[in-house]
Amino acid sequence: MSIMQYNGGSVIAMVGKDCVAIASDLRLGSQALGISSNFQRVFPITDRIYLGLPGLATDVTTLRERFRLRVNMYTIKEEREIEPEAFAHLVSSTLYEHRFGPYFIEPVIAGLSKTPTGGIKPFIAATDLIGCINFAKDFVVAGTASAKLFGVAEGLWEPDMEAEDLFETISQTLLNAVDRDAFSGWGAVVHVITKDKVITRKLKARMD
Amino acid sequence: MDHFPTNWGRPRNDAYDAYGTFPLPHRPNNDTKDAFASGVQRTQQPIVTGTSVLALKYKDGIMMAADNLASYGSLARFKDVQRLHPVGKYTVIGAGGDISDFQYIQKFLEELIIEEFTSQDGHDLGPAEIHEYLSQVMYARRSKLNPLWNSLLVGGFKDGKSFLAYVDLLGTTYSASTLATGFGAYLAQPILRKEVEGKETELTEDEAIRIMETCIRVLYYRDARSIDKYQLATITADGVKISDSRHISTSWSFAEGIRGYGAQTQ
Amino acid sequence: MPDTLSLSQSQPQQHAFNPYTENGGTILAIAGADFSVIAGDTRQSEGYNIQTRYAPKVFRLTDKAVLAVNGFAADGNMFVKKVRQRLEWYRHAHAKDMPIRAIARLIQTMLYSRRFFPYYVYNILGGIEEDGTGAVYSFDPVGSYEREACRAAGAAQSLVQPFLDNQIYFKNQTPAPGTSFPRHLPLSTVLSLVIDSFTSATERHIEVGDGLEIYVVLAKNSPSIQGLRDVRGVSELTSTDDGERVFVVRRELKKD
Repeated sequence: MSIMQYNGGSVIAMVGKDCVAIASDLRLGSQALGISSNFQRVFPITDRIYLGLPGLATDVTTLRERFRLRVNMYTIKEEREIEPEAFAHLVSSTLYEHRFGPYFIEPVIAGLSKTPTGGIKPFIAATDLIGCINFAKDFVVAGTASAKLFGVAEGLWEPDMEAEDLFETISQTLLNAVDRDAFSGWGAVVHVITKDKVITRKLKARMD
Repeated sequence: MDHFPTNWGRPRNDAYDAYGTFPLPHRPNNDTKDAFASGVQRTQQPIVTGTSVLALKYKDGIMMAADNLASYGSLARFKDVQRLHPVGKYTVIGAGGDISDFQYIQKFLEELIIEEFTSQDGHDLGPAEIHEYLSQVMYARRSKLNPLWNSLLVGGFKDGKSFLAYVDLLGTTYSASTLATGFGAYLAQPILRKEVEGKETELTEDEAIRIMETCIRVLYYRDARSIDKYQLATITADGVKISDSRHISTSWSFAEGIRGYGAQTQ
Repeated sequence: MPDTLSLSQSQPQQHAFNPYTENGGTILAIAGADFSVIAGDTRQSEGYNIQTRYAPKVFRLTDKAVLAVNGFAADGNMFVKKVRQRLEWYRHAHAKDMPIRAIARLIQTMLYSRRFFPYYVYNILGGIEEDGTGAVYSFDPVGSYEREACRAAGAAQSLVQPFLDNQIYFKNQTPAPGTSFPRHLPLSTVLSLVIDSFTSATERHIEVGDGLEIYVVLAKNSPSIQGLRDVRGVSELTSTDDGERVFVVRRELKKD
């Protein structure tokens, strides 16, 4: 079994109308053995950017700290908050620095970016473990349940959903996908990022 | 240089996978060491092989093409081999893969046709029956783990209907308006589909010949196990016709301009 | 030098013949109250090669049973051939079609008889039970089987099955207070879900596409016939006129 499946876990992000959502399960495992049902793998980067890090748990911790450092350095040097697009490239280049001995993480990025006219634009992206970026207009998925997430999301997602509809869609997608995945589940957390607030909800899920 | 990472560290098996083009899960894993290997009679591998066979549906029936080469590994061993073979009055089969297995197939099909003829029951075998029979033989042999190492095309025309289908060493069968075996599946099939799909009832024989020539030429340029001598078969209401060997024209003037691969001094 | 020569000669390079391959595609079946829907795409592939855009994976066995086979195509075709032969013998012996639960048990014994050289095929059997209810039976390659309300199998099983859990079984959903979810969905809803499942699978799986064949088996005098009349691309395959009825709906899927 691949190192990518060692700890299990899955993340999904979706675009809505002037909002984005990112959701993840809460399982930490050691192969088939469940270790924790409260393992955080989605982290706030700024007020408007969230980062999901499915993959090898030890690298989740390492990369979270690495990105905290690099975003802080960016903020100090630039004297402004990082935008989601720039952050996606920061993630990509950080991973590519380790092209031949990578971190076993496939990051998912969700955020709202500022437009020149002062509006906001939803942004999602995902990369592979060496930093190849996928800018998607609809949804991105990663982790051990990625195939299932693709299937359900492709069936449920539709354009221009309001925040509450987006929450329902991403929650249903995640729960039904992880229920068919032995390495994901054991609870879930959803963040919906809107113009003026971030709604974070924990979901009850099957615990088997 | 082998550019396929899945082949690295594995002995090359030229006869089995001459181009390293087999789907990844099916690449031969030649590095397994079986302590009893020398005591077991292994099934076989193809020895003298033919490359692609091409076929298409057109207005009057089916056209099939195959070159005249039988290779021994990378050696162009026999350069006047016929790989298109008539079976009965309505059918042609074309073979890629092991030539001796193909000759065995020719032999038992001939016996089958004679057997059917002697019964004098007013029925004779058309392409559909021959394809079904061949499929059962190929599947039975693979199930005994002793396959006939071929990819075969069966083309025919009977009772106003054309027939074109494929069968291979695993007993896998399928049918389509254009078919190509071996390397032809990669190089010729895209051309054939573009030229033929949706025009099966309009294409004239001359147009079909032109399409086949294009495909054979592309294969001769890029398939190292092919030659420029080939035959065409047509199966129509007029019966089976297999042409004499033909020569495909090629132009190599572009090679003059290539720099970087050979031993040029400048 | 002689050493290296004899070394390379003493170990002739060999490989075992692999009698199996995978031919892609996906199948799916859903049971209703008095009908059953069995569907499959029509692409046949090996690796990255599309062998043909039309190779059926779903077969009408009788007027009340339809079998979908997925996996190694040569095994699948041979298996359907043998099942049909056994059903014909049954017809000659008993002067009627075999009931679907008997076909299901027949399939399990046929698969298990090849336990040590399996048919590399996932089977889904759909049709009408003797009591007139819609049925779906699903099998693994060596004969484990169960009756259920819905099942996906094949290349895109992992994409389709969780979607069906959600939309057929209403998993992870709670009904509005004072209401409950229906145990069986109407035919029109089921057909829409089947088409959505396959367009989604086509979008995200390279081995799924080209064409879609949806078989619909209706129980005797089923009122679901009304909704089926005006479905685009439907044709009837029923062979008798006083029993269950079989229809097929053919649709195009993306070819890339």
